[in-house]
Amino acid sequence: MLGKEFEAKNAKRWAEYEKSLKNLESRRAKSHLEADDPSSDLSLFPAMFRQLCSDLGIARHRMYSMPMNERLNALVIRGHKLMHQRSVGTWAKLFHFVAVDFPVSVRKEWRLLIVATLSFILPGLGVVLAGFYWSDFSWIEAVLGEQMMSSLDTMYGSSEDQIANLRAEYGSNFMMFCHYIYNNIGIDFRLYAGGIVACLGSLFFLIYNGVFFGAVIVYIHVACSNEAFYSFVAGHSSYELIAMVIAGMAGLRIGLGLLNPGRKTLARSLMDAGKRSLPLIFGAALMTFLAAAIEGFWSARDMAPNVKYTVGITMWVVCILYLSFAGRGSIKRGRRSA
Amino acid sequence: MPPAESSANQLQFHTQLEQATRLDTLQKVELAEGVEIHLRMAGPYVRVLAYALDFLIRVGVLILVGLVLMLVSFLFGMKIAQGIQMLVMFGLTFFYYVIFEAGKRGASPGKRMMGLRVVDTSGAPISFGQSFIRNMLRFADMLPGFYACGLACTLLTKRFQRLGDLLANTVVVYDKVPVVHVAGLSPTLKSLAPGVALTREEQAAILGFRERAGTWSEARRVELSDHAGFLTKSEGEKGMTRLLGMAHWLADKS
Repeated sequence: MLGKEFEAKNAKRWAEYEKSLKNLESRRAKSHLEADDPSSDLSLFPAMFRQLCSDLGIARHRMYSMPMNERLNALVIRGHKLMHQRSVGTWAKLFHFVAVDFPVSVRKEWRLLIVATLSFILPGLGVVLAGFYWSDFSWIEAVLGEQMMSSLDTMYGSSEDQIANLRAEYGSNFMMFCHYIYNNIGIDFRLYAGGIVACLGSLFFLIYNGVFFGAVIVYIHVACSNEAFYSFVAGHSSYELIAMVIAGMAGLRIGLGLLNPGRKTLARSLMDAGKRSLPLIFGAALMTFLAAAIEGFWSARDMAPNVKYTVGITMWVVCILYLSFAGRGSIKRGRRSA
Repeated sequence: MPPAESSANQLQFHTQLEQATRLDTLQKVELAEGVEIHLRMAGPYVRVLAYALDFLIRVGVLILVGLVLMLVSFLFGMKIAQGIQMLVMFGLTFFYYVIFEAGKRGASPGKRMMGLRVVDTSGAPISFGQSFIRNMLRFADMLPGFYACGLACTLLTKRFQRLGDLLANTVVVYDKVPVVHVAGLSPTLKSLAPGVALTREEQAAILGFRERAGTWSEARRVELSDHAGFLTKSEGEKGMTRLLGMAHWLADKS
């Protein structure tokens, strides 16, 4: 059969396929469906698509003209995209993610959790211990810098609640909320992306933050009011710090994909590492968002410090319980049914 | 031609072809339906242009938002306006690409203007997660400056993938297929059987040469047909005529 005959024989079918492709691709596909038009009947499309695939295969095999091949190639690509569109059930997915996927994948990466936590806590602890038992204070000053110290002074300088005073102006709670989103979630994302440089970026940020927090704590104890500081950070500290460590884990995961491909090819290992890191970084971003909301709207409220400490400790307990136990039942059920 | 010489000839011919690496950026992907589709990979140059467009768009949005926020700050106060501005900055920095590329068109506005699209390496649309990974890794691809890391990675991989693409298993392709211009020559040539057995790909190349011969100048046609000098055993005008004759023979046969 010559190319022209093949084209003439199938032209009608191709035109129909193209028409239904157009209908299904357009956003008004639903209204077309109601109009009872066969060209937008979803159930007919897969069969048409497979037939077109076979047409392309035949056209290639018989080496028909290039324009025909190109046209069929383009039509098959469009159909392929349509067939592989992902259905969205956003809210159900989000709920399942929070209830099961996120805590499960944190527990699955428990080795990374230990590494990330230690590389944040150990430097911080070191700085704190050194700061209290060493007479030399100058290198705490070096870590913080002059600007940071003066801003710590204005925020936690005296036992009067300085932050609450700063938040007196209308809308400043909202502004701080937005600032924490921009800044803290941004830090999470950089921690994550830094992991691809053979884990070094994530480790660097974790250690750096550990040293920095340690220095802040020492400085607060020496120069500012403890109560002002701890009652402010109590509410959101759990979510923020744990989220940061988890973002670090996500970064380490992709870094390990590069460093330790195991028996996979490097490309495959990177791909898998990307997939495995996703729930971690999404969860970290969600937790940081929650922390930003608490920090922006609640932490600076004028309340008795004891109330804030109680809420803070409860949050830590809730957070740790959530990450240790949430989603366990669903895994067991999944195994039984499998 | 004696058979021994013929087979030696053929062997030499095929080795020569195998040594020649492909120049085009077409990537074959086999679908579950058992058919291959050809995706056109987009190289660094066109992607840099798309990036520049996206950058301008984001700056434009930021300026517009700044103007609107001046009004907001009169109505609701300075702090609210500052907060909204930070939210917009956050969105533009981290989620501009993620949302557009995970969307229906699979491309940021700049990419769309350049006729590009981000797809899975299988040619399917990408998921939100893939879009997220690919665009978060921008911060690594940017290192140490001017996307140096991403550019090096693009040039080293077969499918022009930067780090983000490798992790997310995505590629950037041309969305629209360019129109192929076809003009054959007048079919008065006598057909001629090729001296060796040709593989399917070689046959397709010769047929393609005949299909498009009319769009080139005579000198260009001769230049191209000289590459098949091994097959036609002659050069210049004569070689081209022989090659077209073989194309004719192949077309008649099939």
